[in-house]
Amino acid sequence: MSFRIPKQAREWLNRDKKINFTFEGETFTGFEGDTISSALWAAEQKVLGRSFKYHRPRGVLSLANHDINVMLTDGTDTNMRGDIVELKEGMSLNAVNTIGGVKKDKNSYIDSISPLLPVGFYYKAFHTPRRLFPFWENIIRKAAGLGVVNFNYPRILKRKQHAHCDLLVIGAGPTGLTAAYEAAQAGLEVTIIDENRHAGGSLGYNRAGDKASVEYLDDLLNKVVRHPKITLRTDAYAAGYYPDHLIPVVEAGGITKFRAKAVIVASGAFEQPPVFRYNDLPGVMLGSAAQRLIYRYSVKPFNNGIVVTANDYGYRVAIDLLDAGTKVVAVVDLRSGSNGGLHAAELYRRGIKIYPGHCVYEALATSDKSSVRGAVICAYDDKENIALAANKFTLECDGIAMSAGWAPAAALLYQAGTGMQFDYGVQQFVPNRLPEGVFAAGKVNGIYDLDQRMRDGIRAASDALRHLGHSVAPYAIEKHNGPSPSHAYPMVPHAKGKNFVDFDEDIQIKDFENAAKEGFDNIELMKRFTTVGMGPSQGKHSNMNAIRILAKIRSLPVEKIGTTTSRPFFHPTPIGHLGGRGFHPHRLTAIHDWHQAHGAVFTDIGAWKRAAYYPAANHSKEDAIQAEAMAVRKSAGIIDASSFGKIEIYGPDAAEFLERFFTGSYISQKVGSCRYVLLLDESGVVVDDGIASRLATDLFYLSIGTSNAAAVYREMQRSQQEWQLNIALVNVTGAYGAMNIAGPSAREILASLTDLDLSYESFPISHIQEAVVAGVEARVIRVAFVSDMAYELHVPMAQSQHVWNALIEAGKKHGLRPFGSDTQRLLRLEMGHHMPGIDTDGLTNPFEIGAEWAIKMDKPYFIGQRSLSILAKRPLRKQLVPFVLASNFNADMPMECNLVIDGNEIAGRVTSISYSKFIDRCIGFAFVTPAKKAVGSEFQIRTDSGSLVTATVVETPFFKNQIKSQKGA
Amino acid sequence: MKLLTCPVNGTRPLSEFIFGGEYRQAPEQNSCTDAEWAAYVHNRHGAPGDKKEWWYHSPSGTWFIAERNTLTDKVSSTYLLSQKNLNEEKAAQEAGK
Amino acid sequence: MPLRLLKYALKKEHPAPRFFKSLETPKKSYDVVIIGGGGHGLAAAYYLAKDHGITNVAVLEKGYIGGGNTGRNTAIVRSNYLTPEGVNFYDASVKIYEGLSEELDLNLFYSTRGHFTLAHTESAMRTMRWRAEVNKHVGVDSVVVGPDEIAKACPELDMSCSGQAPILGALFHAPGSIARHDGVAWGYARGADRYGAEIFQNTEVLSIDVKNGKVCGVKTNKGYIETKQVLSAVAGFTPRITEMVDLETPIVIHPLQACVTEPMKPWLNNILVSGSLHVYVSQSSRGELVMGSSLDPYEVHQTRSTLDFVEGLTSHMLDMFPFLSNVKIVRQWGGMADMTPDFAPIMGKTPIEGFYLDAGWGTWGFKATPISGKTMAATIANDSAPDLIHSFRLSRFEDYELTGEKGAASVGH
Repeated sequence: MSFRIPKQAREWLNRDKKINFTFEGETFTGFEGDTISSALWAAEQKVLGRSFKYHRPRGVLSLANHDINVMLTDGTDTNMRGDIVELKEGMSLNAVNTIGGVKKDKNSYIDSISPLLPVGFYYKAFHTPRRLFPFWENIIRKAAGLGVVNFNYPRILKRKQHAHCDLLVIGAGPTGLTAAYEAAQAGLEVTIIDENRHAGGSLGYNRAGDKASVEYLDDLLNKVVRHPKITLRTDAYAAGYYPDHLIPVVEAGGITKFRAKAVIVASGAFEQPPVFRYNDLPGVMLGSAAQRLIYRYSVKPFNNGIVVTANDYGYRVAIDLLDAGTKVVAVVDLRSGSNGGLHAAELYRRGIKIYPGHCVYEALATSDKSSVRGAVICAYDDKENIALAANKFTLECDGIAMSAGWAPAAALLYQAGTGMQFDYGVQQFVPNRLPEGVFAAGKVNGIYDLDQRMRDGIRAASDALRHLGHSVAPYAIEKHNGPSPSHAYPMVPHAKGKNFVDFDEDIQIKDFENAAKEGFDNIELMKRFTTVGMGPSQGKHSNMNAIRILAKIRSLPVEKIGTTTSRPFFHPTPIGHLGGRGFHPHRLTAIHDWHQAHGAVFTDIGAWKRAAYYPAANHSKEDAIQAEAMAVRKSAGIIDASSFGKIEIYGPDAAEFLERFFTGSYISQKVGSCRYVLLLDESGVVVDDGIASRLATDLFYLSIGTSNAAAVYREMQRSQQEWQLNIALVNVTGAYGAMNIAGPSAREILASLTDLDLSYESFPISHIQEAVVAGVEARVIRVAFVSDMAYELHVPMAQSQHVWNALIEAGKKHGLRPFGSDTQRLLRLEMGHHMPGIDTDGLTNPFEIGAEWAIKMDKPYFIGQRSLSILAKRPLRKQLVPFVLASNFNADMPMECNLVIDGNEIAGRVTSISYSKFIDRCIGFAFVTPAKKAVGSEFQIRTDSGSLVTATVVETPFFKNQIKSQKGA
Repeated sequence: MKLLTCPVNGTRPLSEFIFGGEYRQAPEQNSCTDAEWAAYVHNRHGAPGDKKEWWYHSPSGTWFIAERNTLTDKVSSTYLLSQKNLNEEKAAQEAGK
Repeated sequence: MPLRLLKYALKKEHPAPRFFKSLETPKKSYDVVIIGGGGHGLAAAYYLAKDHGITNVAVLEKGYIGGGNTGRNTAIVRSNYLTPEGVNFYDASVKIYEGLSEELDLNLFYSTRGHFTLAHTESAMRTMRWRAEVNKHVGVDSVVVGPDEIAKACPELDMSCSGQAPILGALFHAPGSIARHDGVAWGYARGADRYGAEIFQNTEVLSIDVKNGKVCGVKTNKGYIETKQVLSAVAGFTPRITEMVDLETPIVIHPLQACVTEPMKPWLNNILVSGSLHVYVSQSSRGELVMGSSLDPYEVHQTRSTLDFVEGLTSHMLDMFPFLSNVKIVRQWGGMADMTPDFAPIMGKTPIEGFYLDAGWGTWGFKATPISGKTMAATIANDSAPDLIHSFRLSRFEDYELTGEKGAASVGH
């Protein structure tokens, strides 16, 4: 048995290619070009899915790319949409969210207990007694949800593209095609997209026996496709509208972000179901769905059908059904009087019974509920919108096509900020205030007649042209004539309910009535309480009816109810498309490969990858760090410091700039010397620190920590914009590589590669010299950050590997070894240097870390100065102190961020702590209450395990200076 | 993504820019009270409306001022702070003549 | 199936009464006017009546109740903050939440899932330890856990995050929960309504009358209301209200966005947050993944959506869960967050007599709904803020006594 009919003109099938697949274990055959739904329907499979809440059997409803009743899994993917996904050879499909298969879903019992599950039932039960809620929650969670996610589904990396055009036309139906052609003829670069596999929109399926419509479509398409200024993209949907005409267009291959100068939205309208009891049975479908089955897939929707209509469209559907070989038992029209015009006349001629002023009171199910066996018909009071069921009668049928009207596919217009008003002439919302550069045409604009739609397309194109500066005359505005394409209230109340409004969420008329009774009587509250429109189709077939029902309940005109906010996405959009390839940029130093080759473990600091330490075989991280540190203390070590921020401040006002930007004094700084710089924010909080080296009267070379460098440079640029000093700022972070060679042998190693006089007298600590090292021009700085005997070499980035190699080679006989940033943390701690970001937090002021010495309060201005003057008057709340643990300490080691405890109060926290093999003590920094800051004070640290460890405040550095006598140390 | 016009580099996508907060002038720090200074440091004009703001074009390192309505998110003009000062000086001079 | 649902099946008429009265026009005067019918304002009205017997109260909501940030957040409840003041405050909120479904007789689906804040860097690990230590100190269940424990709780998580940001550990906060956010607003609205408070929807405050430094009334689109006490609880709109009384605050508005997938069968039991990847995610009882990221980077008074947000978020979600490639995002949305410089709220009295502020809720307001309602009710009833919210006072900025939450707020949800 098959519903497949002979080839229809312009069908979407390739009949030469048969496709075999299975559904719920049964084998079927379709054609290439079928969707899963069309192939199954052709095979007279009607139960294609189960509903979300009541697990009712469902079939084809709209076939308009939002038919969520048919959600499938092929074992790899889940929640595949039957009306969108094309059939592929060998597919093995099952419906999602069933227990025991779609035909015998064990959860279908829920339908029979639905009276127990009124709207919002989950708010009303399961919470008392409290201890039982997890039990109920578990049941509810398992019942909810659709498909099962496959944890082995591969990560898909979709490309992203950008595209620009003069005009983007959304929707390639007759309106959009006409608009695109018109605009291109006037010279615009036009892209037109359509979410369907083939362009043409309703021209492709809404034929009503008119053979000419096919030729008409061919003509129009030909003109568009051949036009050199038009790009047509099908299978492409506009996912949302974002500011400045940014529209992501989603295709199978990825997202293209369109930035158009103007946009015409010709997205059409969604057919809306009339609401009657059992309008969800398999075999009850929208009229346009029936037409799509016939003309796209050459499948007849049923054998003996009833058309229930509330507009003239249903008459067209009836003719298409007849032409497809379906028997039309009757046309039932909610409206009284004679309707349907010429099409009605033709139906009369063809002997079709028409029942004006009647409704389908309820659809009747076959015994296994897998299909329709008939419909109960009765008179309908179109004023009061009630069924007059006294004289009801039954017509036998195996399917019902429904046409009650349309809702504009206006999501993008709403997102663009379009004002919409309700037009009673067409019973739908239409745009009345469009944002600049956005235009609407066709059904979304309330225009339904084909000729009128084409003219509306031309009108929109002319509007867009004028917006883009072309001088074209305004084109006449179209206005709908004749009967409304949508019925004002296509609902049939029924005492027993099951008249569905929202098929995603199984919401019936009475759910709205009851929600309103409970106080949820405005549209937003009603949406939230009933969940109407919150399912995967996002209200495309339900929101308009919900608004009508609420208007009726509240006896208000529809426009007073308003609409809920439209949000992206127009269709559910895959995470893989949106996420794209992912982008994780990081920076490497020029010596990175060397570190890698020497087994470094890397750590992320800001955007940089830095060598943290170099573990030896069979040694722990801790061992590696201690060994590297010992090398620095006993012989020599070298670290790649290329990631440090390096900024040149050049110009007559260079010193003045530093005076204002940092806390210290720089006017008096001698050329060739280095000074500590401390940066605060306006509230006096410590931001960062570094070293400023004066290379010339008008040139400072600033080096600052890795992680903040970009932000500090940015703030320097901002200050310069404000201050307009006579300087230039150059960020040379990437231009210079830097390395620090430190330890007792550092001088000797360096001396072997340079002619520079490295004696302590001629090159004391905190000085900078320019010299040639290993044949390379270098800036050599003596900084005492990790050791008193250390030289920081800044060389052009490209030569840094060469200099590094030379130092490593020269240091071999001295036991020089590389050390990483973790070791550097230990070394600076031994030296007693605190680090911003480690030993400070987002609220630490310089008084709290004992940095008064770095602050020159008597200069005219520096950032944070005024706040410091306020803070200076306030009592200190905490104080950073250096501490040691007992010399024989071998208990539970405190960790950074363990708390300092006084009595039962939090009195501070450890900010840095480490065992130093060199000193053979556990040393660190901690915030304590100011009362505990004196050297010799003891305080308690609580370890992870809860034990208390005593620490003693000491002086820094933690060990005696190696070069005690040296000036400037 | 919105577009923003850097006065030096032209119209670019917003992802290239960093927001720098409202452009505010500090009170005279030597004469203002502690409370006035604290208010300057911490308080902001949070109500929606037209504002002068700092924006930074990251790839080129350009700070500039954007006049933007924080309710509609529409930018009415962008310019370099220095440019504006110059323009204002010029206007003042011309007015003085 | 609980017996309570039987009545719905047995009765002909829908047996549930209205949650709240449908009131159109306010009276001429009230003892207290609450601006903002979100969770906070409604909870304040509820506790004013319940704890203090003050029932002559009007709640004015310019839209519909719960339509602001109450209905826009990702419904996470937790108390694993950084400062003792913060932890104590949010812990008090968690404790009320745990019994709130029973108290309000409305199932809020308060679902305790356990909350992991993932650390991908050593510095993040430090912050986790800091938070854990403070939490433990004040008796809140938070511990630092290693990768093994995370992998055990969430075996679907790619612990290397696609090799981009390997997970070093996490702060695990067992009481971390999610709830049905709308229900919280409706439950408090019903409770307040039953005590006699009056809720007015579609009622917008146009100005606030202040004479001699004292509040004396509010002008609305439905007429003038005399009152001596006004509470502003209008997350996202605070600067518009404070402007009416010429009150300067540090609050600026940044949008916060979120998005949700189509439903799928339950697999993610915990709440996961990654500061480095700017992601927080949980799976609702409907089966949707509810996801958010960090704040929008600039000030704007809109609830619009951006593509950047959802692109960034999904890219990072794929780092964590590569198998979600073909799971679909159904909807994205935004809210407007009141941001403060120290990532803590502003609560309590103000220099204007009778004008109380419940503001600065940034991205963390939902979880504080019960306790903010309770403490603001106490503040209004006694004209004095309880100790629990002392550190959140507005004057802390003038005093340079900001709270220390700044350190923990990289992604503070």
